[in-house]
Amino acid sequence: MIEKLLRLDFIHNDDILFVILLIFGILIFASTLFFIVGWIKPQAKLGELKARTNSWWVMASLFIGATIVNHTLAYIAIGMLSFVAFRELYSVLDFRASDRRAIFWAFVAIPIQYYLAYIGWYGAYIIFIPVGMFLFLPMRLVLKGNTDGIIQSMSTLQWVLMLTVFGISHMAYLLSLPEISGFSSGGRGLLLFLVFLTEINDVMQFTWGKLFGKHKIIPKVSPNKTWEGFIGGVISTTTFGYFLGFLTPLSTYEVLFVSFAIAVSGFVGDIVMSSVKRDIGVKDMGTSIPGHGGILDRIDSLSYTAPVFFHLVYYMAY
Amino acid sequence: MKKITLQLLYSFIIRWFLRVFVGVKFDKADFLLKEKQFIIVANHNSHLDTLTIMASLPRKIVHKVRPVAAADHFGKTKWKEMLSNFFINAVLIQRKRDKENPENDPINRMVKALDEGYSLILFPEGTRGEPEVQQPLKPGISYVLIQRPHIKYVPAYMKGMGKAMPKDDNLIVPFTSSLTYGRPRQAASLDTSDILQQIERDLNRLKDSTIQ
Repeated sequence: MIEKLLRLDFIHNDDILFVILLIFGILIFASTLFFIVGWIKPQAKLGELKARTNSWWVMASLFIGATIVNHTLAYIAIGMLSFVAFRELYSVLDFRASDRRAIFWAFVAIPIQYYLAYIGWYGAYIIFIPVGMFLFLPMRLVLKGNTDGIIQSMSTLQWVLMLTVFGISHMAYLLSLPEISGFSSGGRGLLLFLVFLTEINDVMQFTWGKLFGKHKIIPKVSPNKTWEGFIGGVISTTTFGYFLGFLTPLSTYEVLFVSFAIAVSGFVGDIVMSSVKRDIGVKDMGTSIPGHGGILDRIDSLSYTAPVFFHLVYYMAY
Repeated sequence: MKKITLQLLYSFIIRWFLRVFVGVKFDKADFLLKEKQFIIVANHNSHLDTLTIMASLPRKIVHKVRPVAAADHFGKTKWKEMLSNFFINAVLIQRKRDKENPENDPINRMVKALDEGYSLILFPEGTRGEPEVQQPLKPGISYVLIQRPHIKYVPAYMKGMGKAMPKDDNLIVPFTSSLTYGRPRQAASLDTSDILQQIERDLNRLKDSTIQ
């Protein structure tokens, strides 16, 4: 019974166990560091960094708890992530009152998409939102009869759905990939690799940018993004990826390429969401995570890295 | 029985539903425990408004707070009246004053509930309007505050409720929305329109503080 509920076999899987210990090691290091620095230098402004680290503790524990321990729970947890992100994003994007029915159906698409990922029906999973909802939602909008601004509603709704549901659901489908002989970490290893690298990439680009940042990449969108931060981040992330390659079934060159792709697409996801925020005129998408803004501020990179990573791995190894 | 039902319903089930599914961000309401009695004055756009305020209350006082509702809507049938009484704990009033039957008079009914020790939730706009558009306030709240001047009112502003569940639609579509409380305040004068203006200013100030 317990073995069915909890997949505790990861304790016997040295690869995954190692990475989990690594994650908690980093978190312990960060917390201790801020504690000591705050103790020596009480005037240092560590409030936001501390809040961020505490949020990382919660997010890492939840993520590891859901994905590593219980398989089914992981699909539900990632589905909830999509749900909250979708709600957060569409709520700030002035939809018309007459769009409510179509938006309702977009919400209904979330459990369907994750169910398709859960049963591993790849063909249906991969076309359901890009083809199925793409054709269905405009029809639902048209039936309401209000044509004023309908083009904007049609396109925005599909875009939000693609970004927050279709993109993020690739994380879940990693868990449904078939087993490859000789590769014991499986989908859990791949998911861990993707999330760990994406988040490390965020942190690295931020840190390199803070330390050496001079030349701005796109000052109109995100004044904090610099070439130094970007390049430093890409190199660090690719290096991290190289050492974590054992979580994937890929060859060394493939791992390097995939890590590089995660670093670049993570950056792109970040600035795409920044530009959206700039357009609406908000700093953060919400206040659901202390120090991080909303869920979307946290998974903006993931909505890009997840599909990129998934399809590269799917092409190379499956 | 009613107390436990209300606490279970609002402090657990509905609060969870609103927070996780609809996406309501609740303001802290612990400060209400310090007030013996109060009248929550809120803007009104949705059926979710009453549920949201009830769900935001500290569990200990949920059963001591009664929303004021229109009898023509919530007491339409005997069955509906019973449900409103039991599950919403509503004070049902008619929309027009009734000088001949003091018992039926809406102001007297609210004052009576206050005298029985209950706190009230009141939507002075009278009815649910367009989302994010404030309608002129009705004077009822002033009459009550004039008759019981020691009781404080607590302004509350809700944003987004009218988008999650607007007036002419019974379908709930999740929408990130919020409830914000202001400080409890006493009416500064005994004049009807002065009190109304004071409340309107408080609501507008809250509204401005939620838009960022």
